[in-house]
Amino acid sequence: MPYLGGEETVRELRRALSNPNVQSDQLRYRNTILKVIRAMSQGVDMSGLFSEMVKACATVDVVQKKLVYVFLCSYAALNPELSLLVINTLRKDCQDPNPMVRSLALRNMTNLRLPSLVEYVEQPLAAGLRDRAACVRRVAVLGWAKLHNLQASSEIDAAVVNELYSLLRDPDPVVMVNCLRALEEILKDEGGVAINKPITHHLLNRLKECDIWGQCQVLRVLQRYRPQSEDELFDILSLLDASLVSPHPPIMAATLSLFLSLCSGQPAVSLAALERVRGPLLAACGSGSREMRFTALCHIQLLLRSIPGLMGAHYKRFFCGYAEPAYIKQRKMQVLVELVNDENVAMLLDELKGYCTDVNAETAQAAITAIGRIGRSYSDRCLEILTGLLGLKQDHITSAVVQTMRDLVWVCPQCSDTVCFALEGCEETLQDSQGRQALLWLLGVYGERVSSAPYTLEVFIDGVRSEASLGVKMELLTATMRLFLCRPAETQDMLGRLLHYCIEEETDMCVRDQALLYYRLLHCGIEETRKVLQGRRSDPSLGVLIGRPAEPVSQWARSFNTLEPLRQGSIETDGALNRLKQ
Amino acid sequence: MIGGLFIYNHKGEVLISRVYRDDIGRNAVDAFRVNVIHARQQVRSPVTNIARTSFFHVKRSNIWLAAVTKQNVNAAMVFEFLYKMCDVMTAYFGKISEENIKNNFVLIYELLDEILDFGYPQNSETGALKTFITQQGIKGQVSKTKEQSQITSQVTGQIGWRREGIKYRRNELFLDVLESVNLLMSPQGQVLSAHVSGRVVMKSYLSGMPECKFGMNDKIVIDKQGKGGASDDAGKSGKQSIAIDDCTFHQCVRLSKFDSERSISFIPPDGEYELMRYRTTKDIILPFRVIPLVREVGRTKLEVKVVIKSNFKPSLLAQKIEVRIPTPLNTSGVQVICMKGKAKYKASENAIVWKIKRMAGMKESQISAEIELLPTNDKKKWARPPISMNFEVPFAPSGLKVRYLKVFESKLNYSDHDVIKWVRYIGRSGIYETRC
Repeated sequence: MPYLGGEETVRELRRALSNPNVQSDQLRYRNTILKVIRAMSQGVDMSGLFSEMVKACATVDVVQKKLVYVFLCSYAALNPELSLLVINTLRKDCQDPNPMVRSLALRNMTNLRLPSLVEYVEQPLAAGLRDRAACVRRVAVLGWAKLHNLQASSEIDAAVVNELYSLLRDPDPVVMVNCLRALEEILKDEGGVAINKPITHHLLNRLKECDIWGQCQVLRVLQRYRPQSEDELFDILSLLDASLVSPHPPIMAATLSLFLSLCSGQPAVSLAALERVRGPLLAACGSGSREMRFTALCHIQLLLRSIPGLMGAHYKRFFCGYAEPAYIKQRKMQVLVELVNDENVAMLLDELKGYCTDVNAETAQAAITAIGRIGRSYSDRCLEILTGLLGLKQDHITSAVVQTMRDLVWVCPQCSDTVCFALEGCEETLQDSQGRQALLWLLGVYGERVSSAPYTLEVFIDGVRSEASLGVKMELLTATMRLFLCRPAETQDMLGRLLHYCIEEETDMCVRDQALLYYRLLHCGIEETRKVLQGRRSDPSLGVLIGRPAEPVSQWARSFNTLEPLRQGSIETDGALNRLKQ
Repeated sequence: MIGGLFIYNHKGEVLISRVYRDDIGRNAVDAFRVNVIHARQQVRSPVTNIARTSFFHVKRSNIWLAAVTKQNVNAAMVFEFLYKMCDVMTAYFGKISEENIKNNFVLIYELLDEILDFGYPQNSETGALKTFITQQGIKGQVSKTKEQSQITSQVTGQIGWRREGIKYRRNELFLDVLESVNLLMSPQGQVLSAHVSGRVVMKSYLSGMPECKFGMNDKIVIDKQGKGGASDDAGKSGKQSIAIDDCTFHQCVRLSKFDSERSISFIPPDGEYELMRYRTTKDIILPFRVIPLVREVGRTKLEVKVVIKSNFKPSLLAQKIEVRIPTPLNTSGVQVICMKGKAKYKASENAIVWKIKRMAGMKESQISAEIELLPTNDKKKWARPPISMNFEVPFAPSGLKVRYLKVFESKLNYSDHDVIKWVRYIGRSGIYETRC
């Protein structure tokens, strides 16, 4: 940031701009102004040069005009009085024979964002709406929207609104789309443009003439329309059919969004539309650019909530390439989990096993979690893979595996035997607190089946003074108590030590209170303690993977083609699981 | 819509900044820099949310382009707009790099003015923009009425992609069929997934407003013709047809005719443009077959032998062939023997790179390497990354062949025979991986 040279630069440029030699030589003048803009881009404060730039505005050189306007629009808010001087030049330019100059002047008048100028701007804007040249009309239409934005409280004259409505029939498609945008903004309080039958039909008929951005805008606005008869509905749908399979992902997404909102009362048609979009969505998933692939993947996830079998045959398209960025790989894995069925489960699990050893720790953890989710329906195979992964003895992998096993056991209690067997010896490789918490929970609940449980816990208890994580300490308390209830002889001694430490020496209040609670419970008697501590061990009703009822389309249709799908990072069910286990 | 557009270089310095809406302040520029460009961890997602503002970004070489908005917009549309912006800039001044941006400062501000008004994308076709942008020179002074009417007709005319009155002395057209073949093969030699995505790019220098008709060996068309004839076509060997999974066309192609008779007819824009884009997954000719063989000798040595076989006509030559064989991280030395081309071990990339300038069809080449490993007591098992290949072949791996491209211009006096036509096929590798 060249703050050091700021003062100097401003002074130098002021000298140059006021120099009459520079002013007469067009090229030099223009270059000086270029330097001003460059410095402005870099963050240097150029507002001191405002008056000089105003003088520079009166020139025939269009390039120079454009540069000066860029400057003025940025600093006009700081100098309202001086900006008035510019208005005269601008108004003169609004009547120039060259349509480019007219549109430039009009656009910049509205970009100046000064409430005091509004009265001077309204008349040229109104004239601009009726201009001969289309480019001027486009700018004028959006100019009214900017004006409204500037002074949201003042009412835009009803005559203007009417004129904007009539300009929807303008022969130039961009003018028409700009009118839509302007009316949407101006009439926001009333719910936007009034979409009635004639307007809808007119817009649909001219959809083909618009470019990509125009089509997206029109399709978005039409979402509010409700067709009056079924015939009309099907007419509209057949008209939009070609856009549904458009090569441009934004148009395809916008059309689908419109279809879904129009057919909200007819689920069969919605589902048929989703089938049609499958091809283009797959093409978008394979597109060259990563961002488009990411967006397409997020939207496919939404679709799969309603038609789980939609991409079933194409599951291979979602295999991850080695060099793909982590965010794409993680989304692809989430999609793969949804697509699993009896035929492809072996192949899918093989693929996922390959990703578990990925260089990026997060991707590896996501792959292991994915295997865990598949394990709810195919527990044997998945457990085999997970146990194999434990053999690698790498800390982030072991941590993720233990957490996944804990989740799996909660949902499928029949796996508990295999899990208990596999837990032996894990504690050496676990480093992070999440993994250790998971291990302690498992040892606590299934302690009677794991032979080495008391010894593992003893290691933890001996090290509790240097333990930093709060969660691990709480879990350790609970686990030791539970183990005591089923194996009292081995654990009595260390339980005593632990409780003594937590009550006498521990500084954290949560841990101390928990320990006190347990101590008093023990005093009440073993039966009471057992009732409190040995709650539910599992909940098989949660999260069966296959055979889940498909959600109706209406639940997610509103958030299609917006930023919503891209924001959802992880899967919802895991959060629910964690909360239940406390 | 889009509240602001910023362009940064790799250090995070702002090169261009343009704010369209009041709700985006100057601190948005800094927020993006701190949270994304200078962030320690890898890029998490192309959309970042900071304080209820969404930042969409695209990176081209080492330049970051960011679009900022506070509204709930169509994500696909913003990305498509950013790509379009990059395309337009590239069309004007070539590669997007810091130096080019600094030199064409004025142009970019002009473009930003024209393409985005109040945050809504307006006109973005390169052809139409040329009349508005005064790049250098002192255009735009006094325009004659003819120019004026040209602007309006181009801007409001039905055929927005081609203007009237184009004249060339030599009428010629060039067709490029550019394909990218992607393959994922299992260690046992089974194809896990393969698809070809291709585009047909046309450069047309034709006078007037000609009508063109494009024909290729599309399966559906050939089947229709075959039905007209007597018995089966299977006897007629050599007529290979391709089944296209889905294809999409440029705006100028008349889709109604395509739907009814599967014929592609259009009035082409002048100059270079993309006619159609398509995707096939069946009957793909895989130009190369990679056969890897890896053998671990104890814990200190790895023997790797890779054979590549070219699978196309002997008269054709593949070019710029490069094979990358990944090596473990604890490699201490590598010895390679190869008869054709040059192979080098690149320690910084952890791979052996084998380059062959050209190779004819139906041939075989082999490379063998001995990799010495440093002994480690890491029990980590090396997950073998796949062997990837790059190449360029002068035919279309999908099997697409251009059968004809006829030109009809009724008003001017030149016929289809007078047009000089050139066709070329370039098949490139996309993601071509063989696991080992």
